[in-house]
Amino acid sequence: MKFHFSRKQLCIPYAVFLVCFVILPMLLIVFYAFTAENETGNLTFSFNNFIGFFSSPSKWQTLGVSVTISLIATFFCVLIAYPLSYILARSGWKKSNVLLTLFILPMWLNFVLRITALRELLDMIGFLGNYDYVNTIIGMVYDFLPFMILPIYTQLLKLDKTLLEASKDLGAGAFTTFTKVTLPLSMPGVYSGITMVFVPSMTNYVVSETLGNSNITILGKLIEEYFSTYANWHMGSMISIILLVIIFLSMLATGGFKNDNENSRGSNLW
Amino acid sequence: MRPLQRFLSVSASLLLLGAACGFSACGQESESEIPVLRVYNWEDYISDEDDEENGYIDLISAFEEEYGVKVEYSTFGTNENMYNELLINSSSYDLVCPSDYMIMKMIHEDMVEPFTDDFFTETDRDGEFNYYTMGVSPYIAELFETNGWTRYAAAYMWGTMGFLYDPESVSDASLTYWTDLNNEALQNKFTLKDSVRDTYFLAVAYVYHDELLSLGDRYENGELSDKDYTAKIGEVMNRTDPETVSAVQAALRKLKKSAYGFEVDSGKNDMVTGKISVNFCWSGDAAYSIYEAAEENDKTLYYTTPAECTNIWFDGWVIPKGGNVALAQKFLNFISRPESAIANMNYIGYTSSIAGAEDEVLEWVLDSYALAEEDIDEDSVLFDLSYFFGEGSEALFYANSDDAMGMLVAQFPTEDIIRRSAIMQFFEEEANNRINMMWEDVKGAEVPLGAVIFIVAVTGALVAIYVITKYGEHFVVNKPKKGFRKIEK
Repeated sequence: MKFHFSRKQLCIPYAVFLVCFVILPMLLIVFYAFTAENETGNLTFSFNNFIGFFSSPSKWQTLGVSVTISLIATFFCVLIAYPLSYILARSGWKKSNVLLTLFILPMWLNFVLRITALRELLDMIGFLGNYDYVNTIIGMVYDFLPFMILPIYTQLLKLDKTLLEASKDLGAGAFTTFTKVTLPLSMPGVYSGITMVFVPSMTNYVVSETLGNSNITILGKLIEEYFSTYANWHMGSMISIILLVIIFLSMLATGGFKNDNENSRGSNLW
Repeated sequence: MRPLQRFLSVSASLLLLGAACGFSACGQESESEIPVLRVYNWEDYISDEDDEENGYIDLISAFEEEYGVKVEYSTFGTNENMYNELLINSSSYDLVCPSDYMIMKMIHEDMVEPFTDDFFTETDRDGEFNYYTMGVSPYIAELFETNGWTRYAAAYMWGTMGFLYDPESVSDASLTYWTDLNNEALQNKFTLKDSVRDTYFLAVAYVYHDELLSLGDRYENGELSDKDYTAKIGEVMNRTDPETVSAVQAALRKLKKSAYGFEVDSGKNDMVTGKISVNFCWSGDAAYSIYEAAEENDKTLYYTTPAECTNIWFDGWVIPKGGNVALAQKFLNFISRPESAIANMNYIGYTSSIAGAEDEVLEWVLDSYALAEEDIDEDSVLFDLSYFFGEGSEALFYANSDDAMGMLVAQFPTEDIIRRSAIMQFFEEEANNRINMMWEDVKGAEVPLGAVIFIVAVTGALVAIYVITKYGEHFVVNKPKKGFRKIEK
């Protein structure tokens, strides 16, 4: 038999990886989420975990807290990242790469180390122990800001300059050009930034534990507790799936599933 | 975990393992002639560094060298993680070190291999001295015997739970009782444990404060004997009925409002750096913090166990079913040698259950704490540890007041503390679920009103801006500049 090499075979390593570390674990999670132990100790199919999640006020509360923290953290990330990226992308300044690196630099440090350092800083200004929510949000923003800057920056960088000239030619002022041309065209960057910040902010419980002194429970922490302390893998898996659905919905809302053609030049203008 | 579950987890992990092996050329058969002992212990829970100056010994290497074996040493972070791991890989460890209630649970579920008879005689079948059986403290030995654990578990470290505090900001008198946490002056100054069982204990003592104190009074009046007093305390502290749990819930919610936060690890350093002034902690962690604070910040910290009662906890070695019993027992005897026990105490700060067959550990205690005749003054405190080292030992000595209120009492509680102590039993599943649900509720936080208002305001503003930029021109009629004329078609 002759071995025919085709480019498709280059995908085999990734396919193996995909099956072992993505598909199988996912199936296990789904399996655990929709099963429960009956009195004799056997596993049976059940919706009890699903019902259990939505009939528990404390889980609703945790969901609410997670979404709240994520929303606010995402908002502040956009608020900080957009003007910064705009200036960096439009300045034409040769050293803007250096500046960008400076903002990305924290990502090269270990994340736990950064949060521990931030904890000491917050203690110095007297926030630690007094404003658990504020601290957690500060931590999330600090942690995920680069994930917001990068996509917006790249989007603004590849923005077609002729469109701006055209806008000016047609008599639009700087403000109108921004609201009618630059902003709509940079939205795909903002959207992908939002997904990259909003989603991990709901689960990154190292931040809420370190900076909020474990006074705040977010979904990630709840999952961890169900797997370790409560030793109830079924509910833990169910919460993970609910989180997945939320992620899916947020991707859907921010257009993460649109293909490139839809996002390509000018599509957001009209 | 049930069969199907186990099958799934096992097959999944096998698959992963198989994938990993494909890359790393699994297996080292050539070394398989050397016996292997697989030890599963808490993180940072054994002296594993050679340092003569500080009195550390690398116990694992020393054991490997002396017995010509290989030790595969791995660690866990919580009892539950260890338990789950054992369920999935039931025969992959020879020796594990769970805490008291987990040992009870494992014995109850028949997961533990008993020790052989020759573990309990003076020498084992190879004629080697049984350091554990001959050297374990009489107090610990009796505790194990009355509870029926002797056959299955060998005590390792033990201690109490109490408050570590900074005497400069909190007075000793203001921390006499568990209920003293309920004090304006401690607002945002104390931490609770992010561990359901430990904080549950605290809250039960908090709720039954009066009942526990009246037991204490009855003991003082001679109405209760030593044994009855301890037994009654144990009964109160192990209540898990719905009324208790809901009272605990109310108490914890209240405490959470005034607490700095929950922690399992950061509290040690937060005491040293002075972020908090009271830390609800295990005595071993207290010993660590007291040492660090003195070394690094030249600061004195004290440890106290409240007057109602305290929790006696211990960690012990058990052999999971299918483990290598003979080799595991060799290892137990090795780490139970007095010099190993002392090295462990030097290294991790926790208190070993070993007294030594000839009270070698007592000598170390006397060396470290006992005051010489000429140094004794009116502040010195008389310490009696004969309950731990056994009747007839010379465990009566004077210690200076800093040690007696700090390091020494953290390492060795006095007999009156022991008398009012309780061991926490493992809870039945129903009670456990009740407590877990209570804990989840306590740990959950409310969505702050300010945040909701903020989100609504921002969303409103964004929608308004969007509408104005999108449809603004329909509402705002731009007047033509002067000189232009509107062309009618």
